[in-house]
Amino acid sequence: MASAPHIVVIGGGSTGAGITRDLAMRGLDVTLLEQGNLTHGTTGRMHGLLHSGGRYAVSDQASAKECIEENRVLRDIASHCVEMTGGLFVKRPEDSEEYFQEKLEGCKDCDIPTEVLSAEEAREIEPHLAGDIEKAISVPDGAVDPFRLVVANAASAQEHGARIETHSTVTDLLVEDGEVVGVEVEHASGSGVRVHGTEGGTEELRADYVVNATGAWAGRIGELAGVDIEVRPSKGVMTIMNTRQVDTVINRCRPKGDADIVVPHETTCILGTTDEEVDDPEDYPEEGWEVDLMIETLSELIPMLEDARTIRSFWGVRPLYEPPDVGSDDPTDITRDYFLLDHDERDDLGGMTSIVGGKFTTYRMMGEEISDHVCAQFGIDAECRTAEEPLPGSEDFSVLRDYMDEFGLRSPIGRRSVERLGSRADDVLDVSGPNPTVCACEGVTRAEVQDAISQSGSDLNAVRIRTRASMGNCQGGFCCHRLANELHGEHDEPTARAAWDELLQERWKGQRHALWGEQLSQAMLNYALHATTQNRDHDPADGEHEVEFAAFDSGAPDAGPEGKAGTGRADSGIDGSDAVADGGHERGD
Amino acid sequence: MSDAESPSTFDPVEPNAGEDFEPVDVFPDTNEFDLRPGADSCYKCSTCDTNCPVAEVDDDFPGPKFQGPEQWRLKRQEDDHSIDDSIMDCSNCMRCDNACPSGVPLSQMHNTARGEYVAEEMSKTSIEYWRNRILANYRTSAWLASKVPRLASFAMNFGPARWVMEKTLGVTKERDFPEFATETFREWWEREGAAAGSRERARDARERRGEPRDADKKVAYFHGCYSNYNTPEVGKSMIRVFEHFGYEVVVPEQKCSGTPMFANGMLDDARRHAEVNISSMADLIEEGYDAIASCTSCSMALRQEYPELFDIDGVETVAENTFESVEYLRIHEDLTDEIEAAAVDGDLAREFAYHAPCHARNQGLERQAVELFGDLDGVGVEDVGDSCSGISGTYGWKEEKYEKSMEIGDEMFDHMEDAGGQTGMTECPTCAMQMEHGTGYDIRHPLELLDAALVE
Repeated sequence: MASAPHIVVIGGGSTGAGITRDLAMRGLDVTLLEQGNLTHGTTGRMHGLLHSGGRYAVSDQASAKECIEENRVLRDIASHCVEMTGGLFVKRPEDSEEYFQEKLEGCKDCDIPTEVLSAEEAREIEPHLAGDIEKAISVPDGAVDPFRLVVANAASAQEHGARIETHSTVTDLLVEDGEVVGVEVEHASGSGVRVHGTEGGTEELRADYVVNATGAWAGRIGELAGVDIEVRPSKGVMTIMNTRQVDTVINRCRPKGDADIVVPHETTCILGTTDEEVDDPEDYPEEGWEVDLMIETLSELIPMLEDARTIRSFWGVRPLYEPPDVGSDDPTDITRDYFLLDHDERDDLGGMTSIVGGKFTTYRMMGEEISDHVCAQFGIDAECRTAEEPLPGSEDFSVLRDYMDEFGLRSPIGRRSVERLGSRADDVLDVSGPNPTVCACEGVTRAEVQDAISQSGSDLNAVRIRTRASMGNCQGGFCCHRLANELHGEHDEPTARAAWDELLQERWKGQRHALWGEQLSQAMLNYALHATTQNRDHDPADGEHEVEFAAFDSGAPDAGPEGKAGTGRADSGIDGSDAVADGGHERGD
Repeated sequence: MSDAESPSTFDPVEPNAGEDFEPVDVFPDTNEFDLRPGADSCYKCSTCDTNCPVAEVDDDFPGPKFQGPEQWRLKRQEDDHSIDDSIMDCSNCMRCDNACPSGVPLSQMHNTARGEYVAEEMSKTSIEYWRNRILANYRTSAWLASKVPRLASFAMNFGPARWVMEKTLGVTKERDFPEFATETFREWWEREGAAAGSRERARDARERRGEPRDADKKVAYFHGCYSNYNTPEVGKSMIRVFEHFGYEVVVPEQKCSGTPMFANGMLDDARRHAEVNISSMADLIEEGYDAIASCTSCSMALRQEYPELFDIDGVETVAENTFESVEYLRIHEDLTDEIEAAAVDGDLAREFAYHAPCHARNQGLERQAVELFGDLDGVGVEDVGDSCSGISGTYGWKEEKYEKSMEIGDEMFDHMEDAGGQTGMTECPTCAMQMEHGTGYDIRHPLELLDAALVE
């Protein structure tokens, strides 16, 4: 072949990023298109569980076996994204003994290592488990950071020559002679890293093959070429606690149901979840009772959750799929397995395959299978190496070091930074200039923020998912403006301001589901601070007239005796035309 | 629990430390508490940082918010090396506890983190460790010195010896060591007939006051190390004042309150001493005694730090029944009336510059002396403001902290100089050292003045 075939992968979640890395490592020319940030869809809205397979050991043993296999692979290739917390299936007195035994047997059948613990032993591991629990099964569950994992996959793909385009929406599939030959894509800003305010545009991308890895959105892409993909999106709520009440994944040992898992995630714990079919993956109700249900039900396992601080809640949409002839009524009955839909075989539409269903834990395996399928189309016999090659950041590294001497960082901040950066820590943190902490809740320093900005342009939400900045208990109250400030130099004032607005909106989106108790106090304080010190409640810069910032430095140049409205505006901004500028705190998403 | 259905039990100053729940006892005999949930109450306002006297003068000190809620939230529970060494720069003045509008258990977080740092990260062969251990175990040195008080007082202030101490141990040579009393408080107490003598005197006093001779008025005195070895006159005044009001006093077996040990992260030492103190005080409380301290840091330890740091039988009973001495009399006796009727002449008929110790502030006692002595004829008491004295027990004795300690104290020194009197007054022995060191004034305890007004 003269040159490698060009593959367009649609969807920048774990599956799409995994496929892109795999194909790029096999030498194909790949472009990844994502309508938002990386992880914007379902991947960024999951509870971060690295499945041992235990959860599927009774109902879906095929999935369980895949999980334990991939669990071992990810510990190895993505060590800086994974925390091996271990997991427990905890049985309360009212939970069935029969199911407990089935679970134990199921795990055995799937080669998932287990140990049965007495209540006393379980509470020695997790002192805050309820006093009346009966016993538990320990399994090798873990926690995984989906953001870091996807970013690392994309970075690796880029190293192997792939092109990654975020904020680029596929608006049409180009079909010629019954075959998909490319896509039409609309870039929100110019191609490459996103910079607010840059002119976007439409691009036609010719492709030798298109992979639709858009999960819950797969049906939409299918429609563009007139094929039917029956994804059944199912929503689930997740609630984030301010601190870790447990350091082990806690599962309720009973048949799959609502509110049965707590996953320790970085500095927090995530409670999950529900399973309810929705019509539209982007528009569905987010209701208070769903959050209440998480806290109430999981308090049966961990009583202190009842009074603990919640910092936000979010909803994710599972991309469930089942072959049309199965016809389950209840989404909990739909298999978690993944399906590869070759539209040539299925719909007589060549040049495109969709991948639907599946789980985050098995993203790499899905990537491998679809990459094999794509390679087969072109007769390429290249071996998959994604199970052996560590991701960037997961090459040999140790978190045990003297952070103060090496990087001038306080111990817990250095420790967190190195955990996030993995083997990239020395490159990123070893800077000569001052390196102040930008986000104190999560211990993120300027060096790490600057590293993220260099990867993702002016997009502060992309900085957020790379660093965890603004994801702690103040939910950005004290750091969003500092993050925006870090854009200065490389980017101008309107760009920084647009990025800042966007980040505040995003932080508010989840926090508004946690407005009682301590987080309400936090939101009130944030509001007061933002309004009184940053003009966020009525920002003249959002008004029609331009603010003469220079006037602040040198004074109004030709201020007449009665003053001039144009320069006074910077100070007061009281003017009917500015009334729309509400700064982001009153609005929802 | 959504915004639609807010629980009405929410109390913004109630810290959420998971206290109602009894975690299984997985750390027998250690001082390891998981304080991460305490971070729930912090909304990052930084009021603690702006009230921290160390942060004000030490630009390298990250402040109480970092040391407390941020560090606890960030630290790894299983990690032995996650406490930052800056925890050793906190002086344990505990002003952050008072500053916090939201009930974050800051000093508990600091004390626990410091204990963890010293136990797991600090080299046990380092000079800093041994210097801190010696300073923290002042009681041991003082006990030894009390055997040869005159020699000890001379030796401890002998120039060349102090030079060597600074060079080898890092104990500043700038300060004068307090003199050791030639007779300790406890020796005097034995000579006075101890509990039996006190009972007789208290009965006589009750009769004189027209109270039933057998009235149930009895207290157990926690004198602390300093009134025992250095300022027995404070202890003597405490006995005379309480007996004057008809209280029988007992002076039970006791060790150091632990205050200097908490401040140096020596939690094992502190626990050993606390076990003795709690055991003897708890027994007496069961018999109807209340525990009284004349040092505000000692009362602070028994009331707040013990229950926050140690899970020892009786710890809550002791905490609930411990009082500062003057506070106790203000609660139970008509002190104001007696003081209005009294007058002081003689040695203590002076103008006093009063400094409220930070630990007294935390117990709500900072206005006590000024309010009380306002109507006392023959004396004047002037408050020198709400700054920290800067010495914070052992902090100001460390060679590398001396300058900062004096910088913190500057405001208090200035205000003392501006005040009318040339005599200082405070409840805290180390604040007294700092006041004397900064101004050269003689420093007295409010109990001495009460003694002069009501008894002598």
